[in-house]
Amino acid sequence: MKVAICGVGATGTRLARQLVSSPAVEQVELRDERHDHLAAVVASLGPRARIADVPLDAPTDADVVVLAADAGLHLGAARRFLGAGVAVVSVGDDLGEAQGLLELDAEARERGVPVVVGAGFGPGLTCVLATHAAARFDEVHEIHVAKVGTGGPACARQHHRALARSATDWRGSWVRRPGGSGRELCWFPDPIGGQDCYRAELADPALLVPAFPGVQRVTARVGATRRDRLTARLPMLWPTHPEGGPGAVRVEVRGRRGGASDVVVLGAMDRPAVAAGAVAALAVLWIGDGRIGAGAGGLAGRVDPVDFLTALRSRGVRAAAFQGSAVAEPA
Amino acid sequence: MKTIRRALVAVGLAGLVAAVLRARGTGGTPPTAGGWRELSGPELQ
Repeated sequence: MKVAICGVGATGTRLARQLVSSPAVEQVELRDERHDHLAAVVASLGPRARIADVPLDAPTDADVVVLAADAGLHLGAARRFLGAGVAVVSVGDDLGEAQGLLELDAEARERGVPVVVGAGFGPGLTCVLATHAAARFDEVHEIHVAKVGTGGPACARQHHRALARSATDWRGSWVRRPGGSGRELCWFPDPIGGQDCYRAELADPALLVPAFPGVQRVTARVGATRRDRLTARLPMLWPTHPEGGPGAVRVEVRGRRGGASDVVVLGAMDRPAVAAGAVAALAVLWIGDGRIGAGAGGLAGRVDPVDFLTALRSRGVRAAAFQGSAVAEPA
Repeated sequence: MKTIRRALVAVGLAGLVAAVLRARGTGGTPPTAGGWRELSGPELQ
């Protein structure tokens, strides 16, 4: 299998490293406008990686293209690659682009080509965790996603933009809420712990609602500080860390099982770029194996969550469950 | 007197409804303690 990666930032580099170490991948073609950086990455990856000195959306002979570039490039590129019959995996988390990519579903089904939308840490792993948690219920009523941390600088810029824009939640119909509102203290896997999370323009609800017909509420929040909220509508004032820091995702699913209301909380802690690279690499390999069918959509409902989480575990990305008890333990 | 009687009836009815919900409710008590545990073994089957 040949794979092309458009955008070699923190996530794209991790993804490329995962792919060159997979026996099923013969060649990984890397595209990026930063030529020096691209050359350094390719040199570190070994003989299976090669530079493609072409525009990001130029035609390719690859079987799968991964879009890991900045937000704004994914939809146009996906249309071109889909038109050429090439499978597409988008690692982006921009809501507008995710909605546009989902609208390619009819064309993707007609052409028999898979288009995976949001194959990262969140959305991506969050969609798989939601599917895994939902399997424990007879009826799923609510799904609440929260994430904290960013991958590389592109991810940090997207996080900054999202906090300033309106969130689109599902309450039986789409409801827009101001970004930065709805503070909620969310508990993430250790060592992240409790973080204040706020509404933001996130793509998770748009990807989860089609996968869970009948769900009543789907929301997404992102961890932020008061400074983040205050400066969200300004240009980014501080340079971002090139590799991001530790992050986490958390998915809370509410519903009924055995005639009773119940809640299941799953999560994961990792460096977002590392986890996103692993999720995207698995999506690519599963497309190659024919385990992800034609059509455009997120990972929710399209992959077997147990197999996917088990494969992720072997790549070092470990999911966790929150186990609560009704009675506080004695001090 | 009439107002007091009505108030007592209202309080009684509310108590009755609360007792029924308390006895038959299936929601349980929300978790107040606990922690994260890695998914493995049977939970990944």
